Amino acid sequence: MELGIDVSKTDSHAVVDVKGEIDVYTAPKLREKLIELVSEGSYDVVVNLEGVDFLDSTGLGVLVGALKRVKAHDGSLSLVCTQDKILKIFKITGLTKVFPIHASVAEATGASSE
Amino acid sequence: MADVELSIPARSAYVGVVRLAIGALARAAELDEDIVDDLRIAVSEACTNSVLSHERSGVDAPVTVTWNEEPSRLLVEIVDEGAVYDADGLDADDTQAELRLSMSVAMLRSLMDGCEIAPREGPGMATRFTVPRRTR
Repeated sequence: MELGIDVSKTDSHAVVDVKGEIDVYTAPKLREKLIELVSEGSYDVVVNLEGVDFLDSTGLGVLVGALKRVKAHDGSLSLVCTQDKILKIFKITGLTKVFPIHASVAEATGASSE
Repeated sequence: MADVELSIPARSAYVGVVRLAIGALARAAELDEDIVDDLRIAVSEACTNSVLSHERSGVDAPVTVTWNEEPSRLLVEIVDEGAVYDADGLDADDTQAELRLSMSVAMLRSLMDGCEIAPREGPGMATRFTVPRRTR
């Protein structure tokens, strides 16, 4: 099982495109990448979950951990997700109130740089 | 009618194997596709909790998933030999591990009606749920 992670930078944001299944086996790879970005000074991060087929509590834990890290630097972490099966996981756990969730990367990078 | 028992090494790489197996079993049992998805998530969460519990406790025993089909319902049970905990007494503000576990319990209970997460006889925890089957 592979997790694909691609990072691109805009003027204002680091955009992390994730593809595959985020579970207990693959989530550490995402955590390491997000920690690396923050340690390099990227404090406004967008995580694009449109290519994610599966997301579990370990993946949610990684995203919450990353949110705490960027907030410590007055940064932001927003998500891109339109898939019902993934949105459902955020709703069940109450995290729709914690993360700004956008329909596209353009919307996410536009919205949180205002 | 199929009764299946899956025993996996308590390591994170094997949780995905269980998801594949559960997806195939659920489709073979002709469950609706949205129930198949919920079941895969729920079994994956329960196995993740068990695998992480074994890792933390240094337990080298396998984690076992049993799948029993009855005419009107199927029963799924995930059993481990890790630390016992109170699923109703988790503090999401305590540690990262406890936050994750509390989110996992919320997912299990929301996806599977009547999901039980309790200490079992002998060491460890058992997570059990039933899924109604369509009568045809």
